[in-house]
Amino acid sequence: MAKTNQAGMSRALVRRETTAAYLFLLPCLIFFLGFVVYPMVTCFINSFTIYNTYGHTFSVATMFDNYKRMFQDDVFWQGFWNTILIVVVSVPTVTAFSLWVGTAIYQMGPKLRSFFRCIFYLPVVTGTVAVTVVWKWMFNNYYGLFNAVGKGLGILDQNINWLGDERFAIWCIILILFTTSIGQPIVLYVAALGNVDQALIEASEVDGATKFQVFWKIKWPQIMPTTLYILVITTINSFQCFALIQLLTSGGPNGSTQTIMYYIYYQAIKLGEYGYGNAMGIILAIIIALFSALQFKVAGKDNT
Amino acid sequence: MKKVLALLLTLAMLATLAACSVQKEGNNGGGTTDNGGGTEGGGTATTAITMWTYPIGNWGNAETVDAILAEFNKVHPEISVKVEYLDYSNGDGMVNTALEGGTAPDIIMEGPDRLVANWGAAGKMVDLSDMWTDEVKADIAATSEVVESACKWTDGAYYEYPLCMTTHCMAINYEAFEAAGALQYIDEETHTWTTENFVKACEALRDAGYQVPGIVYCGGTGGDQGTRALVRNLYSADFTNPEHTQYTMNSEEGIKGLQLLIDMVADGSMTYDAGIVASDELTLFANGTACMSFCWNASNASNYASQVTFTAFPMAFPSDDGVPELDGGIWGFGIFDNGDQARIDAAKVFIDWVCNGDQAASNVYNTTFFPVRSSLGDVYAGTEKASFSDFLIFMPYLGDYYNVTTKWAEQRTAWFEMLQSAFTSGDAAAALEAYVATANA
Repeated sequence: MAKTNQAGMSRALVRRETTAAYLFLLPCLIFFLGFVVYPMVTCFINSFTIYNTYGHTFSVATMFDNYKRMFQDDVFWQGFWNTILIVVVSVPTVTAFSLWVGTAIYQMGPKLRSFFRCIFYLPVVTGTVAVTVVWKWMFNNYYGLFNAVGKGLGILDQNINWLGDERFAIWCIILILFTTSIGQPIVLYVAALGNVDQALIEASEVDGATKFQVFWKIKWPQIMPTTLYILVITTINSFQCFALIQLLTSGGPNGSTQTIMYYIYYQAIKLGEYGYGNAMGIILAIIIALFSALQFKVAGKDNT
Repeated sequence: MKKVLALLLTLAMLATLAACSVQKEGNNGGGTTDNGGGTEGGGTATTAITMWTYPIGNWGNAETVDAILAEFNKVHPEISVKVEYLDYSNGDGMVNTALEGGTAPDIIMEGPDRLVANWGAAGKMVDLSDMWTDEVKADIAATSEVVESACKWTDGAYYEYPLCMTTHCMAINYEAFEAAGALQYIDEETHTWTTENFVKACEALRDAGYQVPGIVYCGGTGGDQGTRALVRNLYSADFTNPEHTQYTMNSEEGIKGLQLLIDMVADGSMTYDAGIVASDELTLFANGTACMSFCWNASNASNYASQVTFTAFPMAFPSDDGVPELDGGIWGFGIFDNGDQARIDAAKVFIDWVCNGDQAASNVYNTTFFPVRSSLGDVYAGTEKASFSDFLIFMPYLGDYYNVTTKWAEQRTAWFEMLQSAFTSGDAAAALEAYVATANA
């Protein structure tokens, strides 16, 4: 009798706790469904429709028109390859640089460590517009800092139009993206390195391991989950590079800084081609998912 | 204790949701007649409407607009107007997003290229034909006959009720021209010059050591009316056909004009910059780096007055025959069709008061442009902005208002991309052919 009562009470307790848990989840779930799932589903559906400022129609005959148009659109492909370039360059450099800086500053004293964390995190918390204005001034063709320093040091013979020359513009964007992307990874690496098991490090040092071996065999595996997270978020941020392009180059010169994200904005928001913009958004999401899956496959096999 | 805390948190959440809900009603349903605010004193029903305005002179300044609204509410306390301020870099995106989300404002202040050729053509605007009375048409036609046709779409509906207008021109650094001996190439009385003299003046500036005689800016759409007017006027090319259905800058005249600029860049008498837009070029002109600006008008003369330390002498764009055809700006109001007749009527009352009421001249004055209604006369005479009247000299040169041509927004992007391509490749014909193909597609 006592056992039944105990079991009955347990079921009631479980039910009560489950209900409470779901109720706690409910506000987040509502926002997630409303602001993430619903727009994603709508985006997917609209990508098969002819949807622009003039109207919204659907027919089976034209349901793939947006996708056909995309694959025949030279500007989309130019944006695609520029986006790939940004990702391929910025993800490894951001990760490697963050790891290097993180490794260097986590050994410092608390005050110095906090100081450097603040310095590297500043571009992240500073508004994109403010950061962009400063960079625009530094890149200015006529009175910019880079040209002044370059000419002052004798490196440059004449001014370079950094943002107006297609040979340099994309690299300027990558450089700015780099400075705004390293803040969070550095903070994460400092935290991750602080959590590495000191006993293992000391034991390996006692066994005669070199510094490189300590890093590669002890620290690196333990910060691998952080590395994976950094790889994924940097990849996503790089794919979604938009504000810098909008504020600095509008995709030019000659499309050299065109990205998929900026082109989506241009088509959907500037021209009102919502269906076409949605179709490109779906393809971008698939590409990001594939890249992330690849990273999980390569870097995350020890963390499953 | 936990229960009390949970209760408080729940109440806070509900209060937040309720607040959001109330705010949403205020934004979307605010136009419906209600008894809030103004009813406490007099019991009059208030119609709340919203207006979004681009930065057209001081109409982009909250302090100025608040004063205008205060005057309006003295006459019409039954209408309250809530204003939001847009900028040209993201204003279109905000409006398009609002249109799709069903939260478009009641009134929008801008020009025919947006109100008529874009949102009007898409069926988003209210036809304002009833406001275009014969008296209004005659009064506006006395200023310029271009205005009425610009505010009317091909279906005969009027999607803009205009308040002010201007002709876009360029400006030169008078002292730099003087030092370079280039003043001989301009007609100081009529503020005009020929293409031949423009080239000679730029060469004189170059030879006098000025590294940046002028900049053909093409980093984006900002201020593109300047580069269009420059290329178009050099050999009197037509930007579109007369029906405004096709872009025609791949004509012999258009190619010749652009090729001339490319050649000038090559010989150092002109520069081009794919990294800047008009606002940057204006800064470079104002600080003396560039000897001329291709994006000048009365409003910019006022905005940059405190920075300019030389005489910014306004000039018409150079043309082969010395008779320019300047691009015009016509600004006024349109009403988005939000399906609420009370709000539409209130919006019309507001527009009528702004454009035709006792304060009309003052309202035009605040745009820093010129009235479309001839009966308002010179609104700057006897004021601290009396020098603005100098720009009236360009009014007779107002050319065709082609900004209402189909696919205008696409054309603008194609235009600056075309300039980038032309100056990089050096081939004006190929660049213009590609541009026309894109714009007319």
